[in-house]
Amino acid sequence: MTGAAWLLRRLVASVAIVFAVVTFVFILIHVAPGRPCPENVDRAVCDELTRQFGLDKSLPEQYVRYLVALAHGNMGNSYANGRPVGTAIAGTIPFTLQLAGAALVLDFLLGLGLGIYQAVRVNRLPDVVLGNVTLFIYSLPTFWLALLLLLVFGEKLRWFPVGGASDPILCPVVNSLYCVVDRLWHTVLPAATLGLVGAAGTARFQRAAMLEVARQDYVRTARAKGLPERRVVLRHQLRNALLTFVTRFGLAFPFLLTGAVLIETIFAWPGMGRLAFDAILLRDYPVVTGTALIASVVVVAGNLLTDILLGLADPRLRVRATTDVEAVTA
Amino acid sequence: MTLGAWLALFVTLVVTAELVRALRHRALRQERWRRFFRHRTTTWGLGILVFLVLVAVAAPLIAPFDPNKQLDIVHLKNHSPSWTFLLGTDVLSRDVWTRTVYGARLSLGIGALGALVAVALGTFVGAVAGYYQRWIDAVLMRGVDVGLALPRIFILLMAVALWDGLPFAALIIVIGLTSWFGTSRLVRAEVLSLRQRDFVVAARALGAGSARVIFRHVLPNAAAPIIVSAALGVGNVLLLEASLSFLGIGVKPPDPTWGNMIADNAPSIYTAPWSTLFPGLAISLVVLSLNAVADGVRDALDPREEAA
Amino acid sequence: MLSAMQRRSFPSLTVFLILGVAGLAACERRGGCTGANCGTIIDAAVAEPGTLLPPSSEDIVANDIGEQLFLKLADVGMSENTLGDEDFQPLLAQKWEWDGPLTLVFHLDPRARWHDGQPVTAADVEFTFNAYNDSVVASPYRPKLHRIASVTQRDSLTAVFRFREQYPEMFYDAVYHMRILPAHKLRPVPRDQWRTAPFGREPVGDGPYRFVRWQPAQSIELVADSTFFLGRPAIRRLIWRFTPNLQVAVQQVIADQADVREQLVTPENVERVRAAKQLAVYTYRGNVYTFLSFNQRAPDDTTKPHPIFADREVRRALAMAVDRASMLKSALGDLAKVPPGPMSALLWIWDPDIRQLPYDTAQANRVLNARGWRDHDGDGVRDKDGQPLAFHILFPTTSVLRRQYALLLQEQFRAIGVRAEIDAVEGAVVNQRVGTGKYDTAILSRANDPSPSSGIAQSWTRAGFGGSNFGRYYNAEFERLVDRAVTATTRDRARPTWRAAMETLNADAPGIFLYALDNYAAVHKRVDNVQFRPDSWAALLRTWRIPPDKLIDRDRVER
Repeated sequence: MTGAAWLLRRLVASVAIVFAVVTFVFILIHVAPGRPCPENVDRAVCDELTRQFGLDKSLPEQYVRYLVALAHGNMGNSYANGRPVGTAIAGTIPFTLQLAGAALVLDFLLGLGLGIYQAVRVNRLPDVVLGNVTLFIYSLPTFWLALLLLLVFGEKLRWFPVGGASDPILCPVVNSLYCVVDRLWHTVLPAATLGLVGAAGTARFQRAAMLEVARQDYVRTARAKGLPERRVVLRHQLRNALLTFVTRFGLAFPFLLTGAVLIETIFAWPGMGRLAFDAILLRDYPVVTGTALIASVVVVAGNLLTDILLGLADPRLRVRATTDVEAVTA
Repeated sequence: MTLGAWLALFVTLVVTAELVRALRHRALRQERWRRFFRHRTTTWGLGILVFLVLVAVAAPLIAPFDPNKQLDIVHLKNHSPSWTFLLGTDVLSRDVWTRTVYGARLSLGIGALGALVAVALGTFVGAVAGYYQRWIDAVLMRGVDVGLALPRIFILLMAVALWDGLPFAALIIVIGLTSWFGTSRLVRAEVLSLRQRDFVVAARALGAGSARVIFRHVLPNAAAPIIVSAALGVGNVLLLEASLSFLGIGVKPPDPTWGNMIADNAPSIYTAPWSTLFPGLAISLVVLSLNAVADGVRDALDPREEAA
Repeated sequence: MLSAMQRRSFPSLTVFLILGVAGLAACERRGGCTGANCGTIIDAAVAEPGTLLPPSSEDIVANDIGEQLFLKLADVGMSENTLGDEDFQPLLAQKWEWDGPLTLVFHLDPRARWHDGQPVTAADVEFTFNAYNDSVVASPYRPKLHRIASVTQRDSLTAVFRFREQYPEMFYDAVYHMRILPAHKLRPVPRDQWRTAPFGREPVGDGPYRFVRWQPAQSIELVADSTFFLGRPAIRRLIWRFTPNLQVAVQQVIADQADVREQLVTPENVERVRAAKQLAVYTYRGNVYTFLSFNQRAPDDTTKPHPIFADREVRRALAMAVDRASMLKSALGDLAKVPPGPMSALLWIWDPDIRQLPYDTAQANRVLNARGWRDHDGDGVRDKDGQPLAFHILFPTTSVLRRQYALLLQEQFRAIGVRAEIDAVEGAVVNQRVGTGKYDTAILSRANDPSPSSGIAQSWTRAGFGGSNFGRYYNAEFERLVDRAVTATTRDRARPTWRAAMETLNADAPGIFLYALDNYAAVHKRVDNVQFRPDSWAALLRTWRIPPDKLIDRDRVER
């Protein structure tokens, strides 16, 4: 099918997915038992709030009202503190993207590098050693790694700050180059925690993918033609393996957005994960549905972008990417 | 550790070694087993897994104390490892070795159950999507996309936060229900490529029903990615359980799992590292071993190496 | 791929970039402030408040920040004496007098100003009382003001309080519970929206510090008001930094990225802080006690008695089965004391000789047997008429200490054939469940006011039904004794009555009183004149100082 038709189909599918996600979350949170009132609010006051927020209406009616409000760009106000949901989420997005971006960069650089190196030196000592090291790191609970990194690099060596996203005195807002550097400095430890575990997974996957490609005919042909080993590796294997890596990239997003709760809690990182977590426990419905919406939009957009890049790079891949391994968990 | 416990431990080790050796004997006669045991790591991995399962089964014999008993909350709190307390005691003066051994039961059980649900569901959906194709495939795969767009922790938190008193078994099933998406894609890919193969075409030509074709002909040949998924899945579930415990939603105390041992003792991580180190190592060992065994299975069932 | 030449220059390019950035970064260290009024104090706080509007928040951090932003009419002194008015310090009120036994007249300090320039007037005082008293605002402080009939303004600087009855702590009730609010800013806000009002996120006060900014989930910053009429605060900047994990918050202080951590809680933390060279440890009496509350009504229907805890003898047996001293030693070492009743060490009625139930498992077993709770089916858990002696212990997931206690209690109960299950849920849900009576037992913490009168009545008498008396404890004799104690005119006269009241309550075992924390605070050594008033550690922050020769980088920053 033509590029335009394919693109249109993918766009429509993406919108449908976002829609489905939001509906699912909406139903889930409204079907659950329990009152929506935060803290020890008086029953009479809670009833008043319920009426005010329209929570006593039927589920379909609430759903329609929500969609209508959404169409006007209004995601509602938080039940806990009255802030507009859009503002609250917008406040966390830069931090989440910062952390996710840094973690993915580390994941990419380290994982790809390790995976390629391992594939080139396959079954020899460096491969075996690295293989076991990556597996070990992959099997660590992330919060354990986080506490360890904090102890060594934050408290003992004092190379990096112990938690927080920025220097509260000098840089509560980013208004200079120094503050940009400050932010990056604060990002290192949390991104390292996420990135290391991710890189371990990526390295394993990349190695396997590259070995897979190595067996394929055209690589054998190139080798048979007498091309130098290095060129064979770098040109052919890398390109194809890269494509599968990009696919895997998209799978990491949902986790980094709202699944990195533990990391955000330990490092006091003001990201979307913590916002969603607190909101879920406080039964702050507007914030929960809002974060689900934004998170799924970002994820789906990321997947769409990945598919476009894949499709551009190799028209043969203009179907769903079929070989994937599960994303790394917390 | 009592003499009896040491004895039981020794016996377990011996039994493990014998079992692994018995399996290796098969390698002498069968090609697949030979390929399975090609790398030494696989043997080790298998050995460790067998050992851990046996330890879990023989827990009352190997562990000298009651896992929940707080031995002496004033004097034996955070005691470092010694001959009596092989792996030390935790913040509530409970023996870490005993809890790790009993924890194997719950942890391995949780891992197995979660992975089972995930793999079963993923295989089913993937097989159906890959076999029937067209609109069934499209719908199912869109569903998978939706599932992948929401992170697991989010859904799990919602389930726990919104349903008071959710039993932990139900939570494991929910973990399984949210972990099958990757498996389904893998299985679908295998099924897609397998369905063109001669033996499938032949079966269908002979009039075999779809279900029969899927279960008897396609899936057995797609076993490799399924088994590998399962192996990795167990590890993922174990790690997830640790995270949930850290967030305060895990197996209810006082029953030990490796995950909630790490979470409970995290505040003492700097002053009494043994109480978090050993359950963490246990999890790592299981993940490492499962991966080694999964690699072995992949090699054993690799269609490229099968005689045509 | 990269050509050979590019590959060679890569490393040097990277090095140059890193050096350049580092150089720029170093240059940014602006440090200009010198003298006695510099100084930045960063507090490593854990829980972020929801709102900074005083009547709407019982949050501890909100209260600490409120101390800096909003003034009370007068405040208790370091002696914590709440009887009469001699030991109170004037704040917003310059002087006061009694105009008859039930009428108190305050004269406001004419120098007092709101941070937007408007003068503080008696209209603000009147408005504040009406707001605190309004059921729509639903302030948790409302019950404490029930003895005040009205507050009116006689002129712009004179406020008149009228009481319903005469009692020794009239002055205390008039000044302690309310922070005076700016009427001109809050009058337009509808009362039912106070909890979520924008003013709570950008408050305008009249205190020694003014609000600068609130970075959600990160920090709240206050700056000293140099024109503050009671004296310019020496510390120029106060920052509360939020770190959800207590361990990491303590780590921040140890790593010299924060200056104060007002509560260290665990012995491990105290040990680590003592080992840190730049920190000093301060102790002050704690104002919090923690207890296991027994719900005496059925969880699904508050009109019916609880199948287990309605029985006084059973409650007493359970209280006797628990070794409080050992649990305390295990969990807290020397950092806390076993409370002799529902009180913290701050309360003057604290007396370790108050009669309490002893630790006696043999007696506990006997009593339970006598009440018909025996193990009829051999499963290790006592039962009676088919109902097992099993219940849930509820507590918030955020408290590591309460979790540890829950596990300790679980084991102690198991030893006498009682099965306790752990229920860890989020703090707000705990509040909801105990508030509506949907629980069996819960580990709760109570913060004491300096006076036992308001708090004890709130939590342990019929007046607290539907309020803080979650377990619905009621004993007519206890209430009689409390009434008498509250109206006694001197502490010496009140003491024996309070003692008798506490002994009555202890005998009824409405709960098990587990621990009263002594507060251990970590403060950076360079800070001088550190004073902690036990009922509110932040109340005297404005008197802390950093000598000019001890300034460090973060003190000198000019912004």
